[in-house]
Amino acid sequence: MKLVSFLRFRSMQTNMVLAFVLLILMTIVIMSVVSYFLSKDAVQSNAKTYTTELVKQVNNNIRSYVNGMMYISDLVDGNPYVQQYMARHEDGDPAKERALKQAVADFLESMAVSRADISSVSLFGYSGEFVSGNKELALNPFIDIPSLDWYRVAREAGGEYVISPSHVQPVFKNRYPWVVSLSMELTSRESGTKFGIFLIDLNFSVMNDMLQDIRLGQRGYLFIVDSEGRIVYHPQQQLIYSKLKTENIDEVLRIKNGTFMGDDDGNRRMYTVQESEFGWKIVGVSYVSELVGNQNEMRLSIIVLGLVCIVIAIVISLFVSQRVSQPIKQLQGYMKEVEKGNFDIQVPVPTTIEIGRLARAFNMMVGRIKELMSQVVRDQELKRRSEINALQAQINPHFLYNTLDSIIWMAESKKSQEVVLMTSALAKLFRASISKGEELVTIETELEHITNYLKIQKMRYKNKLDYRIETSDTVGRYKTIKLILQPIVENAIYHGIKMKRGPGLITISSEETAADVLLIVEDNGNGMDEEKLSKLLSQQYEGEAGKGVGVGNVHGRLKLYFGPQYGLEYKSKPGEGTTVTIRLPKHPPVIGGGIR
Amino acid sequence: MIWKYRRTLAIVLLLLIAAASVAYWGNGLTQRDPVDITVIIKSTDASVEFWEVLMDGVQEAAQEFEANVRVTGSRTETDVDEQIALVEQAIQEKPDAIVLAANDYDRLVPIAEKVRNSGIKLIIVDSGINSDAAHSSVATDNVNAGMKAGEVLQSHVEGPAKVAIISYVKNAASQIDREKGARSILDGIPNIDLLDTYYVEGSERNAYLMAKKILRTQQDVVGIIGLNEPTTVGAGRAIQELGLKDKVTLIGFDSSVNEIMLLDEGVMKATVIQRPFQMGYLSIKTAIDAVKRNTVPRTIDTGSLVITKQNMYEEENQKLLFPFVTN
Repeated sequence: MKLVSFLRFRSMQTNMVLAFVLLILMTIVIMSVVSYFLSKDAVQSNAKTYTTELVKQVNNNIRSYVNGMMYISDLVDGNPYVQQYMARHEDGDPAKERALKQAVADFLESMAVSRADISSVSLFGYSGEFVSGNKELALNPFIDIPSLDWYRVAREAGGEYVISPSHVQPVFKNRYPWVVSLSMELTSRESGTKFGIFLIDLNFSVMNDMLQDIRLGQRGYLFIVDSEGRIVYHPQQQLIYSKLKTENIDEVLRIKNGTFMGDDDGNRRMYTVQESEFGWKIVGVSYVSELVGNQNEMRLSIIVLGLVCIVIAIVISLFVSQRVSQPIKQLQGYMKEVEKGNFDIQVPVPTTIEIGRLARAFNMMVGRIKELMSQVVRDQELKRRSEINALQAQINPHFLYNTLDSIIWMAESKKSQEVVLMTSALAKLFRASISKGEELVTIETELEHITNYLKIQKMRYKNKLDYRIETSDTVGRYKTIKLILQPIVENAIYHGIKMKRGPGLITISSEETAADVLLIVEDNGNGMDEEKLSKLLSQQYEGEAGKGVGVGNVHGRLKLYFGPQYGLEYKSKPGEGTTVTIRLPKHPPVIGGGIR
Repeated sequence: MIWKYRRTLAIVLLLLIAAASVAYWGNGLTQRDPVDITVIIKSTDASVEFWEVLMDGVQEAAQEFEANVRVTGSRTETDVDEQIALVEQAIQEKPDAIVLAANDYDRLVPIAEKVRNSGIKLIIVDSGINSDAAHSSVATDNVNAGMKAGEVLQSHVEGPAKVAIISYVKNAASQIDREKGARSILDGIPNIDLLDTYYVEGSERNAYLMAKKILRTQQDVVGIIGLNEPTTVGAGRAIQELGLKDKVTLIGFDSSVNEIMLLDEGVMKATVIQRPFQMGYLSIKTAIDAVKRNTVPRTIDTGSLVITKQNMYEEENQKLLFPFVTN
């Protein structure tokens, strides 16, 4: 978890650069691995074909040598002089025998000189005869010939060809050549008795020179083992004998023709085996690491390309992320400006579609905020004004004149009791309306205020006006803005009841819904027509001749304070009276106090 | 702030990992650079089979491990000054390693130390020096070889008998060690009287004359050890000439056609041979290991082998006794 949060970089630029670099690295690694193995396979199968071909070629060459020897041995075997010489009797004529021997020697010599690669051609009779095609050769007196491998094995083989591995031939005096020997037992054509061993030595140097020059790649080589796993030829024979190197001879012997992989000191080697007709196995060894010799160049080019790609990726990602993050940073700067209160900015719209949209949205948002701000300012101003108007209404001079006139008139008529009543009602009226400067008052206070007002009016209009307050007690505790009932009642009196013939009645009642409180002011006065009704609630309608503050003001203030769903609702029919419903929230939002 | 540092750190880390992997891969390329090795042998005389076989081993290893090998050597084994000059010249050429077969046990010490001080790896092959300057020494354990010769002689000789040791030169490490080994075996045998070592001053002819003189003057000498090829062949010729091959047991060192004929004939009962091919091969292998900063063993014994008439034509010994495929 720690690692995850550690790797969660915040800067978009870093993230993009890292993502690009990782992507490129991964692509390079995957591609190089895949191409490496693909090319390795291809090269390996090519090498296999090539080595097999080469080994076949070598096999053919060696076969031609060996076949040559076999051919010679067949000739010797069938040669009448040889037959006669070998089949001679002990009591034969010495002169004749010498002549026969000479003939055999001549014949063998002709065989020996027929091919340059032949080291010697000789006959070893079981009764001690020795004839060689190379006349200068004498037997090495210190060697026990029957103990030598080529002699022993040929005798055991009974007339079959025996081909030795490469070895030192010590049988001739002062000569120790490396040869490959073909030997076979000679049998008399007449009697079928076995009378000796025929030996033909092939200079191993011929084969050696041929094989030495064959290199499979830089280090690969060729070796030959015979059917018993003895080494005929190996360029590193000494290393094998001293166990510094091992060759998987067992596997070579097990497999007839084909290839297998071997391991030596961590070097994987490919063995290509081919069996010759006379039991030798020719084995090509190539180093796998060498087969994929161009892997270094491949690696180098991949590394170089990879580095170039990474550098390009970094540059591109820096550029792209710059293009993305720069406008965002710019936008951020503008936002800081807005935070400080500067709404008079316009972000230049960048060409990038997404960022452009963002900038446009930002511009729109700032514009809207600006509009709302000025709206709030306007509302606030309006509120102040209407409040001042409402306050003015309290000290409506006409009302005060008229009331004071009434008091004077009552005093002159010595109606002191009524003077007291009216004066105290007036006093209460003003006290209630002062309300310690609070914006919201309880409905109870508002009702008290209107009761005092109605008392004063009742005293003035006597029987012409009657009123009833029928509100339930529960609504008293809810809050309202002050001076909302007075303009409505005033309006009811001056425009409804005063114009009417006969007495008028004003009823104030209340209703409650789940969230709202309804105050209903009902009169049975003159009523209004539609036209008047529609004008009434607009703020512009200020009543007549500056008389009081209009109901429009009340309606406006209610909406301002409580929201558009609140306010006044008039129902009226000419000649039947008017019903005004004041809708107030039970729990007004506090914003009323916020926007001061 | 910490955030910012961590991020930088992480980026740096990632870049480092990338760089490291690149470096690792790149290493595979630099390793391919062939190692330059100068081989300075005792004698460039092509007739000395030992050095020719050793050079075969060198070439084989050079090919296998892809090293550039340059071979020089004094014309004769006794020319110490020329060899010192050759080493000096090799230092100037600044190879990665020098493989040296020292002509003198003591006199090549200063130049060997100079090789070491100039940062070139020094591998001693066959013949050592009286110093620790070499990183490794690839040679036959000659004391051990001498002990083998002593053991073979002891098995052929019935006491009371006198045994002579003929040494090629006085101040050659191989001769000293072989003599030491042979003496360590024979000194303890009650019936064997070991004579003082005879020195023949680097000549086969001297060895022949010396042996002849010993055999003539001291009739009871029944065992001779020749500490190298010329001394053995010289002694062998003396035995042949005097017709003493059934009486005198000759044990030799190294191999040559002459020695093989002596062995075939039964004049020489056994020869202790070294493995020059291995020496050459392993000296190059060790030099390359040392250059690549792998640790190399201080001494590598290439071993020795007792060859008798009985085992001389065995498959594995043939290649040692008759190293070259010639007509």
